Amino acid sequence: MSTILLLARNDLHRQFVQPLAWGLLALTCALFAWQFLVALDAFLQIAPKLGALADAPGVTELVAIPLLRNASGLLLLLVPLLTMHSIAGERRAHTLPLLLAAGIGSTRIVIGKYLAALGVVMLVLMLAVLMPLSLEIGTGLDLGRLGAATLGVLLLAAALTAIGIACSAWTSHPALAALATLVTGTLLALLDMGARVRGVDYALVNWLAVSTHLDPFLRGVIASVDVIYFLLVIVFALALAARRLDTIRTRG
Amino acid sequence: MDHAQSALHLDRVSRRLGGRLIVEDLDLSLARGSVLGLLGVNGAGKSTTLRMVAGLLAPSAGHVRVGGIDIHAEPAIGRREIGYLPEEPPLYGELTVDEYLDFCARLHGLAGSDARGHVDRAIERCELGTMRKRLCGLLSKGFRQRVGIAQAIVHEPALIVLDEPASGLDPVQAMRLRELIASLRASHAVILSTHVLSDVLACCNEVAILHRGRLRHSGSLSALDSAGATRVRVERLLAPSDWLALAPVAEASAIDANTWRIVVREGETTGTLAAAVSERGFGLRELRADKSALEEIFVSIAAENGAIGAAA
Repeated sequence: MSTILLLARNDLHRQFVQPLAWGLLALTCALFAWQFLVALDAFLQIAPKLGALADAPGVTELVAIPLLRNASGLLLLLVPLLTMHSIAGERRAHTLPLLLAAGIGSTRIVIGKYLAALGVVMLVLMLAVLMPLSLEIGTGLDLGRLGAATLGVLLLAAALTAIGIACSAWTSHPALAALATLVTGTLLALLDMGARVRGVDYALVNWLAVSTHLDPFLRGVIASVDVIYFLLVIVFALALAARRLDTIRTRG
Repeated sequence: MDHAQSALHLDRVSRRLGGRLIVEDLDLSLARGSVLGLLGVNGAGKSTTLRMVAGLLAPSAGHVRVGGIDIHAEPAIGRREIGYLPEEPPLYGELTVDEYLDFCARLHGLAGSDARGHVDRAIERCELGTMRKRLCGLLSKGFRQRVGIAQAIVHEPALIVLDEPASGLDPVQAMRLRELIASLRASHAVILSTHVLSDVLACCNEVAILHRGRLRHSGSLSALDSAGATRVRVERLLAPSDWLALAPVAEASAIDANTWRIVVREGETTGTLAAAVSERGFGLRELRADKSALEEIFVSIAAENGAIGAAA
């Protein structure tokens, strides 16, 4: 365990002594703030009319959830940039032999890299969640629904990060790893688009699509099948990455 | 050498890559306190051998034992007993030398003040004191190699594996690096690969020559010296008959007007040769082992496929 944490800490440290992580954090923070303020402004304009409606949507539904939904879309772009160097960068900089010669197992290396990348992604999401959460000071939020939506986006981020690590292990070119992560993430997001247009809602293709499992969280529903879906993606992707490192170790 | 006690023992090690036999039936042993130069032209299988020794590449057949333990059966031993410097030093350019070596020490299982102590010692041994706060990415090639060696010795392993450590260095950097490698011999077993003869002569006491993946020669350099000739430089202009008149001399051939290559008779030593030269008043100016014996062996092996152009 200590080796995993050592690898994760080293990766995090290296991420934050370079401008890329700081730049991405600043950029996403600015983007979230802009979206949040626009949504809040729109809510304030229609708030008097909402008061007259019975069972009217609140600030959670109209401001917080859309912000988290946008964050989930932004993850498709952000995660590839944060994970592309994880293993591909080590291979490109010829530093992977340092880890392999130290007798550290492939699974440990992969988990260490995963935790580091996930740490940065979680930091970005925390900034996104803190914005709507700040409204709790002045108004009442549906914390249960906000919590469920946050959990869903966190699970999505964890799954995309695992895919990013797997893609980073399969190539020694970080740009190629980023592209592969972007394509895989987008494919998973849009997989059942055509099926839905045709009215197919419960086929395998629907089950494989991310949106099928993220939407319930955003509606405030936490279902074990959705949690298991994301966990399966994480385990499968990390196992692929570890397998790839094993191949590098045995075949050179 | 008792294989169970040797720092490194390769037992009929072979490695196939892409269907080609890169290393074939390699048997080698190395004791602590020795520096073995693995010599060969480019493509001889040196780097593949070292990657197997470092635990980076599994052999297709045979065993690599460090301290008597098969490192591919028990990979965790690599953390403790092997230090490896690949051809390209594995440095994180974003870290300072201090941060990097601290990470390397912890990677090999050291912790806390113990890790700090090892880092300080590695920095001192590799003379990196003035560079410890410098980013690895900003170091010169010579210092990058030194940091690479520091990471290989930071956990005080029994065996240090260096792949072409002097490659790309200028003559002064290469000389200082050779001195550093020679100094490691006191407390470690060292195996280094090179295709440069002078690297082996400068810092190794044992040599193994690989050619097309097979071990073609192995032994100590001192054995080569005693079997070889002595190079003598004198003030006087002499004829071969002057030399053959000396009791210890078996053969004499001129290298230039004042320098001779002398082969002594069996049972005679360079000491008795020096005494005879002084006694006859030849004006002895220099007397040293003629290293051409290794060169001759290497050249004859390397020339088999016309690959000698790659050797320096």
